[in-house]
Amino acid sequence: MTHTLHRLGNSESLRHDIVFTYMPSNNINHVGSAPKLRKFLEICRDLGAIKIGDTRKGNEYVQGSLENMLNNIEDRAVVEAVFDNEIKAINALKAIKEADLGLSLVVSGLFEQTRECCRKAGLNMHTVNQSLGIWGRTDKLPEKRGILELNTMCGHGMVSVSFIEYAVKKIKTGKWTPEKAAENLFKCCVCGIVNTTRAVEILKELSEEKG
Amino acid sequence: MLINSELCIGCEKCNPYCPVGAIYTDASEKVSKIDLTECVECGSCLRQANCPVDAIYQQELVWPRTIRSIMSDPLTITEESGIAGRGTEEMKTNDVTGRFRNGYVGVGIEMGRPILGAYMSDVEKVTKAVAAYGVVFEPCNPLTTLMSDQTSGKFQNELLGEKVLSTIIEFTVPINRISGIIKILKDVSKQIDTVFSLGFISKLDSDEMFPLNHILDEFGINYAPNGKTNVGLGRPLFKEKGELV
Repeated sequence: MTHTLHRLGNSESLRHDIVFTYMPSNNINHVGSAPKLRKFLEICRDLGAIKIGDTRKGNEYVQGSLENMLNNIEDRAVVEAVFDNEIKAINALKAIKEADLGLSLVVSGLFEQTRECCRKAGLNMHTVNQSLGIWGRTDKLPEKRGILELNTMCGHGMVSVSFIEYAVKKIKTGKWTPEKAAENLFKCCVCGIVNTTRAVEILKELSEEKG
Repeated sequence: MLINSELCIGCEKCNPYCPVGAIYTDASEKVSKIDLTECVECGSCLRQANCPVDAIYQQELVWPRTIRSIMSDPLTITEESGIAGRGTEEMKTNDVTGRFRNGYVGVGIEMGRPILGAYMSDVEKVTKAVAAYGVVFEPCNPLTTLMSDQTSGKFQNELLGEKVLSTIIEFTVPINRISGIIKILKDVSKQIDTVFSLGFISKLDSDEMFPLNHILDEFGINYAPNGKTNVGLGRPLFKEKGELV
């Protein structure tokens, strides 16, 4: 019940973080779903998604290229597209609705923004998954909010705290640009759902902090 | 995961990729090593570090250590769910499955997330606590199949020392029982040595009102402004009894 659920961030930052997840359901509509999943990714790519990914076989880096990723999609894959722009996301929603591919679409983002996007695309909110925060030994977590925000962009926790700190150090010493650092964080997230636009902004903030 | 000390040149390139900080540099040997107690077998170091001498390798995993990989490596496809990762289809396909219906709440307790990971002994504290309240665990979730007794939430003893990056306790309860679950989770969260991220699933009515917010407000629980929304594009659409087509 997770993946894109527990992304931390303030509302202004999250406004630029809209993720689509598209998948078939086992024994209901999964047979022959691979071309539909591919079509979904192509629609999103063409309409301005900043990243697309495949949870089953891995992102473009895991598979060697974007083309490999598209060619290797299987019937039971779960695929994703990341948008940093509401207008582009709405246009993609309209196109996906129009394509009528028949698989299940989940939109992750601010609920009020999702509601507005759906309204403009002629869709309805069917089921929601709400995040009720982190419970237990929160005292053991990093104090810097930006590190948690970057870590939770990967629902599987593959963007490690030490790699985020390593990337910040590289930016501070001028060895990596924030953009390169964000792309390297994206590589770790095998599903391909790290929002590199948001990551750049958070990395800039972290690299400007002292210590 | 292991690092071949004979091959390792001590460049430390792999060290930062580990999500649980299990890779360290052995000061005397000047090579990187993996603390197998902490390693959750997620495969990140092998995939990402591009070891210049190919010193990182996956050892043969034997039970019960295999559950580390099942729960922690996103690319492991689990038998129970048939999909990659440690979760299930949950609400992502609720428009066609009807798994979560009006008047019910799906609960997802993701143990170890974020960052810390979780020992199965801590996972068991939570499963036992909610099992005592009479919940029925989601059968498709790989964690459920690891229980030696699903009515008590007990795991086989040999599993309790295993560590995973995260694992999800999933079940569904009628909405009038969710207050009891919240009370239990508040209590058990003080007994564990890790964290969990909590998520609730609910189907919206025709006015798109969130049915749980007033209960969460009552308990003073902050809910995030963002989350996941199934927008009902799957076909054939599941219809509950009495719902209009």
